[in-house]
Amino acid sequence: MTRKVCVVGGATTPFDYGPTGFETIEGGAAECVKETQRDIPDFSLRDLDLMIYSHFSVHFGHQLAPEWIIHDHLGLVGLPHYRVENGGNTGGSALYAAALAVMSGHHDVVGIIGWETMDSVSQSQGSEFIAMASDTRYELMVGGIYPIYYAAMANKWMKDNKVTEEDVATIAVKNKNNAMDNPKAQWYRNEHRYITVDDVLNSKLISYPIKKYDCCLMSRGVAFVLVCCEEYAKKVNPDGYVTIDGMGLSSCTIRAGDRLNNPTWAERYGPGYPEMTEFGACRCSAEQAYKMAGIENPLKEIDFGEIHDAFSTSEAQIYKALGLANTDNIAQFIRDEQTHLHGSIPMNPGGGLIGYGHPVGATGLMSTIECFYQLSGLIPKKHLSRKTEVPDAMCGIVNSHAGTGTSISNFILRRH
Amino acid sequence: MMEQVVLMKNKNNKKKFAYEPKFTERKDYRPEGVKETGLVFVGHEISEDRTVMNQFLHYDQLYTIRHGWNSKFFIGLLEGKIMGTRCPKCGDTWVPVRTHCWNLNCKLERTEWVEMPLTAKVHTWTVAGWSGRSSLKRLPIVLVYAIIGDSKVAIANELHGINPWDVEFGMPLKVVFKPKEQRVGAVTDFHFEPADGWKPSPMTEEKERIKKLVEPVYEWVKTLK
Ligand SMILES: [Zn+2]
Repeated sequence: MTRKVCVVGGATTPFDYGPTGFETIEGGAAECVKETQRDIPDFSLRDLDLMIYSHFSVHFGHQLAPEWIIHDHLGLVGLPHYRVENGGNTGGSALYAAALAVMSGHHDVVGIIGWETMDSVSQSQGSEFIAMASDTRYELMVGGIYPIYYAAMANKWMKDNKVTEEDVATIAVKNKNNAMDNPKAQWYRNEHRYITVDDVLNSKLISYPIKKYDCCLMSRGVAFVLVCCEEYAKKVNPDGYVTIDGMGLSSCTIRAGDRLNNPTWAERYGPGYPEMTEFGACRCSAEQAYKMAGIENPLKEIDFGEIHDAFSTSEAQIYKALGLANTDNIAQFIRDEQTHLHGSIPMNPGGGLIGYGHPVGATGLMSTIECFYQLSGLIPKKHLSRKTEVPDAMCGIVNSHAGTGTSISNFILRRH
Repeated sequence: MMEQVVLMKNKNNKKKFAYEPKFTERKDYRPEGVKETGLVFVGHEISEDRTVMNQFLHYDQLYTIRHGWNSKFFIGLLEGKIMGTRCPKCGDTWVPVRTHCWNLNCKLERTEWVEMPLTAKVHTWTVAGWSGRSSLKRLPIVLVYAIIGDSKVAIANELHGINPWDVEFGMPLKVVFKPKEQRVGAVTDFHFEPADGWKPSPMTEEKERIKKLVEPVYEWVKTLK
């Protein structure tokens, strides 16, 4: 790596399906920047030398190039800007782009703003909009929305790995309950109750083995992350900045059914991988990130993670793809609650997509922000209690995920 | 083999990169009375304290999906055939089709068309109790990823003619087409059904579980208008 890349601040609006109090995208963006300025008063918008915008779908926003509205509103006329779109991995990909810009030495201070306003349509229409990111020619019309594709993948994965409905339900319970003290989280702002495995098992069928409470939330929300070189980080937030020590980005087929015998994967990981149940792009991008950060044993060397739990089942699949467990011990790994707050690698202490919400373009940035808060000691200030603070956290992983695992990024963040 | 990539001149003497196809068959499947409205503000609402206004923007656009080299697959559906492609170099075969080989050693070799058998087997499956707006009334849907013939990949489609709790990994299927006059040249022209002679295995705990989850779906769908 040519230059160290740092994260020095960030904030989200509340996430919700319906009013957040920050209804316009430019208003929400401005409030996220203002909260960041309250955390690091030495940060001025004048310091920015690049803005990257993270937004998934104009279907939800009914406005082409909506980033121009926000950029203009923030008073950033003259500053270079562009938008990144990469499905559910839009936020992760925007972070990747910002890190590259700083690493290259060409930019010093890069802002990223991400958003989605998914409550502009009904939930069933929204599901169909998102499904337009699946292959419209072959998959969209056959009942295909993402929970169904994921359920088909998870059904086989769970059998192959002896993971049960109850096992994955514990993940949904963990994430919703983690969101209970996070006032910006959608679960906090709506149902706001502690739930049990039975609540998940008895919730409405979405697509077997996935039930309603196994699913992430469709949301409105905006997020801002400030990425910069170390010199600037030392100037504006000398005690709280975090470094991005490793990053990886990888792709897989658009249609999950095309993964069975793919020659590129067979060459890299042997025949039969990733089948259509494993997230090859997650494994591959994690390996890149671990290598760059010098991590040999992720389970030992990473303290916690904010990962893309679109579904409780996919969070379980991600544990395996990140190399935290294998076919022999993944079920036990989940049953031992290794990823709960009292476990060896807490995952989604901020609530994740299941608890915090999933406004697609903002999601990967929300995960980055929660990871940053943990590493910079800001959790007591940002959450209502210390219950979801990971004690002495030095190293976290951020994971962002698109399609049926079609594009996945991973980042290793460390307290400096 | 390069089809249709020739430099043409149109009547204004401008260079074009392909012949304009001469479309001699055309069919409109839209329900009667449905037309494109384009972008229209169709309503609004204002909160009692007049601090929040919502506007309702409707958009209904007609898209044209040009299939080009994939066309034979979709034309095949109209004719009740599943057309796959095969790489003449390495022999890999696909449904859904690839018009160039995925094997990097084959250097994007153009594939050749093969008619596939109408038999398949379940690779994985799920039972959907919720879906997108246009699919809600078809719930519960059994969706399978199935391998047709010797395809290297699995294709997603619905499995009919079975209780949702009776699906099994690896079960044999047949491809069933809609009646010819109902076909539109889309993947929904066919679905899967259990192969002739296939019998479900006895009830198990998992089957009972799925049955319990699915029963409310039947009731809920009845209430949909
Ligand atoms: Zn080939």
